Amino acid sequence: MSQTLSAVGARPAPDCTPGPWQEQGHHLADKSWRAEWLVAWNSFWFMPADPLPLAMLRIASGALLAWSSAVWLLDAEAFFGNAGWLPPANVWRMNDQPWQWSLYFVFSSAIAVKAITIVTLLAAALLTIGLATPLAAVVSCIGFLSAANRAPLNVFGFDDVLGMLLIALVVGPSGAVCSLDSLLWPNRKSIEPSVRANIAIRLIQVHLCTIYFFSGCGKLLGATWWEGTALWGSIANVQYRTLDLTGLARFPLIINLLTLGTLFWEVLYPVLVWPRLTRRLVLAMAVMVHLGIGLSMGMMEFGLVMLTANAAFIPSSVFRGLWHSYPLPVPHTLKS
Amino acid sequence: MNVAAHRHRSPWKPSTRAVASLVLIVYLAAVILPPLAGPPPTSELANWLIRPLRPFIGAMYLGHGYRFFAPDPGPGHSIEWTMRLSDGSSRVGVIPDAHTDRPRLLYHRRFMISEKIAPSVPLLDAPEAIRVAARREWQPLIKGIAGHLLRQHRGEQITLVLREHILPSPEEVIRAQYDADTITPLGTYQFPPGTRL
Repeated sequence: MSQTLSAVGARPAPDCTPGPWQEQGHHLADKSWRAEWLVAWNSFWFMPADPLPLAMLRIASGALLAWSSAVWLLDAEAFFGNAGWLPPANVWRMNDQPWQWSLYFVFSSAIAVKAITIVTLLAAALLTIGLATPLAAVVSCIGFLSAANRAPLNVFGFDDVLGMLLIALVVGPSGAVCSLDSLLWPNRKSIEPSVRANIAIRLIQVHLCTIYFFSGCGKLLGATWWEGTALWGSIANVQYRTLDLTGLARFPLIINLLTLGTLFWEVLYPVLVWPRLTRRLVLAMAVMVHLGIGLSMGMMEFGLVMLTANAAFIPSSVFRGLWHSYPLPVPHTLKS
Repeated sequence: MNVAAHRHRSPWKPSTRAVASLVLIVYLAAVILPPLAGPPPTSELANWLIRPLRPFIGAMYLGHGYRFFAPDPGPGHSIEWTMRLSDGSSRVGVIPDAHTDRPRLLYHRRFMISEKIAPSVPLLDAPEAIRVAARREWQPLIKGIAGHLLRQHRGEQITLVLREHILPSPEEVIRAQYDADTITPLGTYQFPPGTRL
């Protein structure tokens, strides 16, 4: 298996040699500058990409949505019913009504809210195994949006990131490979690199950079992040705690290091995740931070969804290597 | 970059790419503008730019600030309640309840109730005018929670308080000496007589 993290999406190496336009005056140089932007934009968004990474994200996202739906189902009436934690008349106080639509506003009886949640759970299961994938992705997304928009009192970062992933799964051919669809109805054309697969992965990458950038910038407003003590605030918070790390009280420099490391990793993520040289370090840090949050603060779902989103930066060659070691037959056209 | 040498060949026609580019630009604006427009402090420009995109942002659940544990990680909160039942007995509970709210994702979903209401509840020593104004925001939410609990447990009357769990400093943890949690009353509620639960 290739361990080399190459640039995500084939992009040509910058050519530093002077082009002909630079010898023909400003007018041509300006034109070429605009042309370069156009080429870069097209290269970034509209080049075909291997659908395998998107399929991997589909499996993880589908499983997380299935789990989330199962948990909603444990108390569906309280989360989505008329007599729940947040009656429909109060939802506008917590989100942007009337734009944040939800099927639960329309069908709000006890049976209906359970039925909608069960349909979402089933769609998520189909999405995970890749059966009727395009339809499953759309239904999953509708079910997810309905839940998130109806229960603003109960959603958190996990839902924000899961929504981002589901939108991309609707956009791209997420069931093209590693799916029951591809086994039951093999279609050589659908498993070839596609522009839609590239757009879907790019959407996740750009969105994830936005998340880290604003999360990091928000922390720059806080004195405890600059002082290097913010992580203590998480360690000492009994309501988040699933792993007691208060022993670190005797090691303030370690808390400083962890805090500042997290802060600058988040702020710099949108810059350092793109170059091949630094991407592996940035992704390794993501694994440590999100697994750390998952284990010590009991937010494993949030950690896993963030890691799933980070997987959008793993080149297809790495997934392809894993796929080759899997016993299922690999279509000839996709063998590297 | 030598543009001519690196002419990229997308299988999509230029017209398709142009339409897709417009859609992408709108989507990217819907991703980037919400964290610029909230939570405060925010610019007037960001709030002006986001206005036409609100329907799309709302419909796609994209309106997030992404300020995880920012600007500073604060103390945790829980809502404690005491209920009087029709037979005269009483019942107590807490939102969230780490012992009964399992699996952990269910705990977090309920934990968000107290965490999202707490910022709008001022401490008892806040000026009266601030507390009165804030009550108009948080009381309808608390009434909803109280009503849900009364129906769920078939209770007659419920009293709720917000507990802000003390966030001890490293020195306090080493000395094992902690300040008391802060308790803020949220009121006592009951349905009008004759209301069917």
